[in-house]
Amino acid sequence: MGSSSSRINSIPDAQQLMQETGFSAAHIVRLHERFESLDTERRGELSQETVNFASFVRILAHFRPAERSRGSRGGAQQELANCTSRKLQFAFQLYDQDRDGKISREELLQVLRAMLGIQVTEEQLQSIVERAIQEADLDGDDAISFDEFKKSLAKVNVDHKMSTGFLR
Amino acid sequence: MPLKIGQFLPEPGLLLLLLLAFLGGSVLTHGAASSPDITHQPTSAAHSEKGAGHNVTKKPFPVLSLDYPHIQTPFEISLWVLLASLMKLGFHLVPRLSNIVPESCLLITVGLLVGGLIELAGETVPPVLDSQLFFLCLLPPIILDAGYFLPIRPFMENLGTILMFAVVGTLWNSFFVGGLLYAVCQIQQGDEAGLSQLDLLSCLLFGSIISAVDPVAVLAVFEEIHINELLHIIVFGESLLNDAVTVVLYHLFEEFAGAGTVTVMDAFLGIISFLVVALGGVLVGAIYGILAAFTSRFTSHTRVIEPLFVFVYSYMAYLSSEMFHLSGIMALISCGAVMRPYVEANISHKSHTTIKYFLKMWSSVSETLIFIFLGVSTVGGKHDWNWTFVSVTVILCLVARVIGVVGLTFFINKFRIVKLTTKDQFIIAYGGLRGAIAFSLGFLLKVEHFPKREMFLTAIITVVFFTVFVQGMTIKPLVELLAVKKKQEARRTINEEIHTQFLDHLLTGIEDICGHYGHHHWKDKLNRFNKKYVKKCLIAGERSKEPQLIAFYHKMEMKQAIELVESGGGVKLPSAMPSTVSMQNIQPKKPPPAKPAERALPQLSKGREEEIRKILRGNLQRTRQRMRSYNRHTLVADPYEDGFGDFLLKKQKIIQLEKKLKDMDNYLTVPAAPPDSPTMCRSRLASDPQAYSMKPDSDSVPTIQVDLASPQSPDSVNMMDEFARGARGGANAQQDEEGAGLMMKPPAAAAGEADRSRDQQKLMRCLSDPGPSADEDEDEPFLP
Repeated sequence: MGSSSSRINSIPDAQQLMQETGFSAAHIVRLHERFESLDTERRGELSQETVNFASFVRILAHFRPAERSRGSRGGAQQELANCTSRKLQFAFQLYDQDRDGKISREELLQVLRAMLGIQVTEEQLQSIVERAIQEADLDGDDAISFDEFKKSLAKVNVDHKMSTGFLR
Repeated sequence: MPLKIGQFLPEPGLLLLLLLAFLGGSVLTHGAASSPDITHQPTSAAHSEKGAGHNVTKKPFPVLSLDYPHIQTPFEISLWVLLASLMKLGFHLVPRLSNIVPESCLLITVGLLVGGLIELAGETVPPVLDSQLFFLCLLPPIILDAGYFLPIRPFMENLGTILMFAVVGTLWNSFFVGGLLYAVCQIQQGDEAGLSQLDLLSCLLFGSIISAVDPVAVLAVFEEIHINELLHIIVFGESLLNDAVTVVLYHLFEEFAGAGTVTVMDAFLGIISFLVVALGGVLVGAIYGILAAFTSRFTSHTRVIEPLFVFVYSYMAYLSSEMFHLSGIMALISCGAVMRPYVEANISHKSHTTIKYFLKMWSSVSETLIFIFLGVSTVGGKHDWNWTFVSVTVILCLVARVIGVVGLTFFINKFRIVKLTTKDQFIIAYGGLRGAIAFSLGFLLKVEHFPKREMFLTAIITVVFFTVFVQGMTIKPLVELLAVKKKQEARRTINEEIHTQFLDHLLTGIEDICGHYGHHHWKDKLNRFNKKYVKKCLIAGERSKEPQLIAFYHKMEMKQAIELVESGGGVKLPSAMPSTVSMQNIQPKKPPPAKPAERALPQLSKGREEEIRKILRGNLQRTRQRMRSYNRHTLVADPYEDGFGDFLLKKQKIIQLEKKLKDMDNYLTVPAAPPDSPTMCRSRLASDPQAYSMKPDSDSVPTIQVDLASPQSPDSVNMMDEFARGARGGANAQQDEEGAGLMMKPPAAAAGEADRSRDQQKLMRCLSDPGPSADEDEDEPFLP
């Protein structure tokens, strides 16, 4: 354990990250190794968007499997990055690129276009988007708000879908 | 109150009547079985005498004679099937009963009654649950039904858990029950029933027979309690996959029961044999599945026999694997699961419905028959009741199951993301029902090797009865009591589909970032492989490139459209009210047209009208002529299906139009309905004169363009062009910006073409079922 404790000390802000995200020391070490192997140019950040290690860990924290803990309910649960509503928020933000709190038709179209790409015609995409918004939009503003998003995913086990075992 | 009783009384009366009628029939036939000998003798005597000397008086020509043995076997089979079906009918007439008692219990009771009555009538009870019959005829339909409709996704996600329960759980059960039973028997020294004579191998064999969870029983009971998908798939998957273990253990112990001992080498060979049996079964099934998928690629011209391929290939898979003593059940499951996505993409909708209903029908009848036969065989078979043996068996089975489930869950939960709670464990343990497979396997035992065969059979039957009756009846209230999550009945929405796929992609990316070869990674790889190579081979035509989301969307639209037509509703959908916000491809608001919206129909010149009428008449006649010739292979054209594609496009047009008109702030007046296309006339219900109350105004004419799907007559194409030109020229310029306008957008003509051809294919698949008699193009009915 001695080597890993020295390793954890070599990672900046490790303790703070651990507290924020709920990862254990071993996890942080593993993620750091992964980060370094991805960061081939040794710049301390990934890609052009200056994703440094801290934000790397914070984002991945959303994908930790949520524990069904009996003890810490209520307030403590809300802060954890991997609770269900935070996961949903993360997914929502991926759709909602202009951050106006709603998924508009155009944003949904963009996502669908990216997913289905060249195989589908524009008309088909339009009809799908049309139907999707019809189904989900309950307050009639022709866009999907976060609550509507959550409701439409009520039957999907989000904890399961948005967790990966690596980060257990 | 009196009314209620009056309603209630006929039903049990009806039941009783049916039962008595059947019994009368069966007893009579058994009795009649002996009489034909008498009738045969005189005739043969007469013949021989005739041959001798022609000095015998000729018997009067028998106008009516009874010849039962001629048809005995099929008659009895049909009688049994009829009984089974009538019983099934009867139970559902008495709703209170079917709520409390699961169907399987009732059926076993009926079987017991029938067996009892046959015995009372003095006849010997036929050994109906003959193992040959059971394994070759009764079991395959049920398993095929289960395998074809197996929900692949939850199954694969929980495959590790299922395999653990199936393999390790069954092994544990067998050895625990067999070993302890042997110990208990040994303790009983000097018992007059000779229990101590039971050797270890026999006990282990017995343990392996009795420890397998039975898919038929599980299906029968779990169907009625609507438990959540996870538990259902775990217990059900376990019952299917433990067949391999059972087969290996059974053959292993049976082989060596004669020899007497099992060495380490044999145990090692047993393990290898297990792998061969399991993987071999899956492989055989997969091969037949791929063959079936490939065959279905070419069936577009002979749609009538499509379902047959599915059934025959699957049955052959089962028989082939049974030939090699591989696991037939696993072969069937893998055959059904492998062939389904490809076959469904290739076959017509009618064939799909046929397959679904045939499978459900056969499996339902099989299940009913199995339970009835179980009851009959109980009465008929020889029994050797031994209190110690039987009670110890029952107790050990329960205990072994509970310990096994708890222990395995503890181990499995370390690897699961969604852990199994205590409630789940309880249901899994409680749902471990034994059934007819155990009984049939016991029946197969030879008396020479197993002198205690009758005792085994009695014990097996007791365990089966116990699990089916006690556990089957109480599981429903327990599920309610424990508030176990139930299955969610609601249909999957398109939002769920989109978001689920989105999350899948997301997780695949995340796993890639983490460098973790997890679940999503492999699934993604499999999907890519599937899309790139497999689909191209096995799916005909354009469908091979259709992404899953689109297929799902179309399925949903179809369902909704068909429901709408069936309910006689108009084209207008309540939920489709477009909002005032205009469509996304924002174009500057057009000024209101010069002409009001009432100016519905474009002004056509007289000459053009005449041309149109001529075309319509000509095509109408052709349709009528075709329908006149009767052909056994023709599947009658479904009026709903005919109007369907028409309808879809209409609907889209309506939505666009409504939006547009809302922009224009015009009150949408319903114009006089133009003459209906014959398609519409046919699809209108007699009682509903205004099925299509709201016609799209200027678009009603181009709607006929739907027949673009059938490009055979140049007339129709020209007609379209005419209208397009006419409408565009006559009415407002807004016609051009219709979003989903397939024909109207000149710049998007290319995209429109591709879309059209895709739609065309879909529609052709839809309508291509009027079988081989369609010498012309199959899309005739589409023409107005």
